[in-house]
Amino acid sequence: MIALLVARNTFREVVRDRVLLGIVVGGLLLLGVTRLASPLAMGEGLRLTVDLGLSSISWLGLLVVLTVGTALVSKEIDRRTIFNLLSRPLPRPLYLLGKWLGLTLALAAVSAILGTALWLMLAALGHAAYAGSISEAVFLANLELAVINSLAVMFSALSTPVLSALYTLGFFLGGQWCDDLRRFASHCPPGLRAMIEGAANVMPNLPLFNMRTLASGGELTTWTHLGLASAYAALYCACVLALASAAFESRDFK
Amino acid sequence: MSMTSNPSAPNALNADHQPLAAPASGRPAAGRPGVTSDSGPAVSIRGITKHYRHPWTQKVTRGLEPLSLDVHRGEVFGYLGPNGAGKTTTLKILTGLLKPTAGTATILGVPIERVSSRTRMGFLPEQPYFYDSLTGVEYLEFVARLSGMPGREATRAARAWLAKVGLGERERQALRKYSKGMLQRLGLAAAMVHEPELLILDEPMSGLDPFGRRDVRDLILEQRERGTTVLFSSHILPDVEALCDRVAILLEGRLERVATVGDLVDGTAPAVEVRVEGGRVFEIPPRLAPVVERADAGGSTGLRLREPERLQELLAWLLAERIAVRGVTPIRPSLEQLFMAAAEKSAFHAQDVRRPA
Repeated sequence: MIALLVARNTFREVVRDRVLLGIVVGGLLLLGVTRLASPLAMGEGLRLTVDLGLSSISWLGLLVVLTVGTALVSKEIDRRTIFNLLSRPLPRPLYLLGKWLGLTLALAAVSAILGTALWLMLAALGHAAYAGSISEAVFLANLELAVINSLAVMFSALSTPVLSALYTLGFFLGGQWCDDLRRFASHCPPGLRAMIEGAANVMPNLPLFNMRTLASGGELTTWTHLGLASAYAALYCACVLALASAAFESRDFK
Repeated sequence: MSMTSNPSAPNALNADHQPLAAPASGRPAAGRPGVTSDSGPAVSIRGITKHYRHPWTQKVTRGLEPLSLDVHRGEVFGYLGPNGAGKTTTLKILTGLLKPTAGTATILGVPIERVSSRTRMGFLPEQPYFYDSLTGVEYLEFVARLSGMPGREATRAARAWLAKVGLGERERQALRKYSKGMLQRLGLAAAMVHEPELLILDEPMSGLDPFGRRDVRDLILEQRERGTTVLFSSHILPDVEALCDRVAILLEGRLERVATVGDLVDGTAPAVEVRVEGGRVFEIPPRLAPVVERADAGGSTGLRLREPERLQELLAWLLAERIAVRGVTPIRPSLEQLFMAAAEKSAFHAQDVRRPA
């Protein structure tokens, strides 16, 4: 309950931030541009619109995480607003959980707005049947952003915004390429292979949340995929937030 | 409040600084509403120490030497010391923002390691900062609910406290538009909105104009009347002198003195000033000269007598010399003078310690 209070406050704080408004407006403009560019796709205009539209949701969400999420806790520490919260009966792990949840909900709101805008655009072009595939793709993109956001909150609780952004970006890129890393490891000597595989296992498995190719063809994914992706995201976020809490618990606020 | 009587505690008072079981002078805390004399201490600190270790050089900086003291329920306690003395460190340890290197402490009987120790406590940090995008009422409602108030009650309390601190007309205004004084008042309201039993205020008068300081003083007095224990640090000694049942003086991380304001002042060498008519040429007799300081000002002359027990002797001499006495005033040192004397003593002591044997 107390984490929900922090989440509500974080959500309110983030949605009132002009950065988020700018990103939403930018996302809507980007959707318009993808539509304008679609005649260049030589008959694949619809596929291009859906693919770029869904990609823009993911990339803009990542931008929000890198600009807002990586400063979410460190900004509170720098500005000392955290003193007013942690001097109350608020356990530090619940504070972190609330911050993560608040931004994740704000990201979900942004994704929902941009996803709805994309579907409206497609519906206006006579492709309302894409509703299902777009919903599923947006849902998975949200899970991906929740995972990245948990990393951002962890780094933000322990480091400066710039370093947090770099670490988060590193994990994002590592997560995108974790399958490639595993393939690369199989060609390495045993010691190095174990290290690379270990690193690949620590990175979030982000390809699991990518169904843009399917969605751009108007196809749906399976319930098993959705369930597995949800469970993986929940487990990964729980592990990261637990690690963050353990480190944050002993932190001094001078 | 009283110091621990454990003589082995490194920071306990020595024989010159006797522990005080209860306020000997000043306001009797137990006489106020909501205050019972048999209650345990509101704050109990035993050997709390804070050292900071640099992560790279491993160099240790001493923030707070082992500190032991109690704050009784219902009293207003002033925590004095220059910058870097360890006041804020103590308050942050009590509020869970810093982890002590050693020692234990309880708040209203609950160990500070437990989050629940902060349920009945309100805290105003030094120069508080807030969320710019929230409105006054949103912020107060949020912190009241964090402290355990139910939703509707929190909203009602938030509105009531905003009005109480003079911000009622700005309850829908974003905090980025509040002035520094307004934010300080909002911080006080946030510390009190859930009606805590213990208030910890870090420099509550800092950065306020005289009107703001008066308002804060009134708020503290009001809280004292309803039986709230108030522990506050301050540099503004006249305010401390006016408000506190007892004070502690902290210097370089060590507790130098804990006493009632009255005892601090009474325990020092008093003086008496005798004002006599001005314009007369007279010379103080050699037997009194070592204990009398003369100061001519305007139409009168002031004779400051450092040994009040020799007042009769001085008056007899003035009468014999037919010098008209205009008035006799006992002079007590202000808390500020006491504080400065303690600081100088500590500096002298530190030099003494550093000096090779």
